[in-house]
Amino acid sequence: MIKQLSVFVENRPGSLMNVTSALTEAHINIRAIASFDTPEFGILRLVVDKPAEAKTYLTSRGFVVRIHDVIGVELKDEKGNLNRMLSILAEGEININYIYSFVIREGRAPVMVFNTDDYEKAAKVLSAADVKIVEEADL
Amino acid sequence: MAAVTLENWKERILDPKIECMSSDEMAALQSKRLADVVERVYNNVDFYHKKMKDLGVEPGDIRGIEDINKLPFTTKEDLRDNYPFGLLAIPKKDVVRVQGTSGTTGKLTLASYSQKDVDVWGECVARCLSMAGLTDEDIIHVCYGYGLFTGGMGLDYGAEALGATAIPMSAGNTKRQMMCMEDFGSTAFACTPSYALHLAESLQEAGAVDRLKLKAGIHGAEPWTEEMRKKIESILHINCFDIYGLCEITGPGVAQDCIHHKGLHINVDYFYPEVLNPVTHEACADGETGELVFTTLAKEAMPLLRYRTKDLTSIDHSTCDCGRTTPRISKFTGRTDDMKVIRGVNVFPTQVETALLSMGGAVAPHYLMIVDREDNLDVLTVMVEVDESMFSDEIRKLDALKAKIGAVLKQALGVSARVKLVEPKTIQRSEGKAVRVIDKRNLQ
Repeated sequence: MIKQLSVFVENRPGSLMNVTSALTEAHINIRAIASFDTPEFGILRLVVDKPAEAKTYLTSRGFVVRIHDVIGVELKDEKGNLNRMLSILAEGEININYIYSFVIREGRAPVMVFNTDDYEKAAKVLSAADVKIVEEADL
Repeated sequence: MAAVTLENWKERILDPKIECMSSDEMAALQSKRLADVVERVYNNVDFYHKKMKDLGVEPGDIRGIEDINKLPFTTKEDLRDNYPFGLLAIPKKDVVRVQGTSGTTGKLTLASYSQKDVDVWGECVARCLSMAGLTDEDIIHVCYGYGLFTGGMGLDYGAEALGATAIPMSAGNTKRQMMCMEDFGSTAFACTPSYALHLAESLQEAGAVDRLKLKAGIHGAEPWTEEMRKKIESILHINCFDIYGLCEITGPGVAQDCIHHKGLHINVDYFYPEVLNPVTHEACADGETGELVFTTLAKEAMPLLRYRTKDLTSIDHSTCDCGRTTPRISKFTGRTDDMKVIRGVNVFPTQVETALLSMGGAVAPHYLMIVDREDNLDVLTVMVEVDESMFSDEIRKLDALKAKIGAVLKQALGVSARVKLVEPKTIQRSEGKAVRVIDKRNLQ
């Protein structure tokens, strides 16, 4: 299981940059980022190297932040690998709320991050199918 | 000094005969005093003579306190129109002092006092100090401003009437305040709540709190929350009390809360309160919010009939746990100035605040009401800052929250509102009174 930051952002120019520049100030390294929008506001989701510190700093700068557990799985960069992983989850009747991928991993296999309501079951079906689940320390 | 808890609190009632009087006896006293004051203003103040004539009311029509609603109202504008001495009911040579407030716009609001008015004022403040557990043995550090503003002189008169020692520090110079507080062994201090917090934090930073003998703080002249009271109390290990007053009526000492903090006890033998619906002017039931209106029952120099304070509050006539029977007004939540008519419905910012608080937030949320007109229709938008307790990682939950806020507001206000969730600290904070409403309709 890995930690993800969710940040409330309004849908207006500069709102994402405000978050990333705060993280830069705090010397936090961003590993993955995704944003999902509605007309007025969105949630910016990030995986960073120091989630607790990042939350403290962002909160002190006036952002609303939550830390959530998400599942990260390692996928070899080969055709059909994402489809295979999603099939395993679909067969296990795991609902995925959202999914996004890591930015760069310096030569290592890509990581997909997803959120679900049933982590235990998701972890079980993925392990049973020999899909590698990434932990904080592996990032 | 450690704060005294309720278990070992000794309630001190300065005038039990008045403060614990039965409602029948109090009504009889108020009736007698009302008839007297009406007679005096009718005969001596042109303004009231004319107002009563216009309403077809004569002093003889006011037989008791229940007839008060036959009398005319007085507004702040009336005071300005008759500035400075137009409302005197006594010869000018019998005025021993004036006090005033600087309005945010234009002229001062000036109030005149006879010697008896000053004595009554002191008596009322002394009752409040006693309510705060103070006696003639206490040393009261007054860091309210001395001058036209009633804070300094009011607390001074009160300390004197109680037989306590008054230290007339006046406002400002925090370092000197701290030094004198420690050197003189002040046991109580009086100032605005915001200055009290500043002083408390300064004392804490200087590591001086343990060397003080403070046990009570008397704070008023601006609105403050329970959270703020608890904060000052916990830093200084004292009990703090909310004193209320306005110079038009007398100054501080019109009302104050007791150790139970369940509203502010009004000195109703001198100041008769009404809580009225600001639009219909009908009396509100106990617990219902309306505009606070005062009639001075014993004032000689400048008595006022049904003075509209514009402060919004509710009243509670039940006997308090402290033993006093004097009715209590709730802490002030707003002013009628803030009321907006939206699609024909009267809406107060306080209703929005109450509705948002009812949703389970621990702290008063930051919000802003924006009233605008689109296609000749009033549109109310309520911006609400998202805090950690309401934030969720899922858009659908945020959408559900938005819908729920909308439903709660519609229920509370009687008009529908658009809800806009915004980032924290995007709604501007103000130094003094928070801006809660922007009416863009006026600009068109």
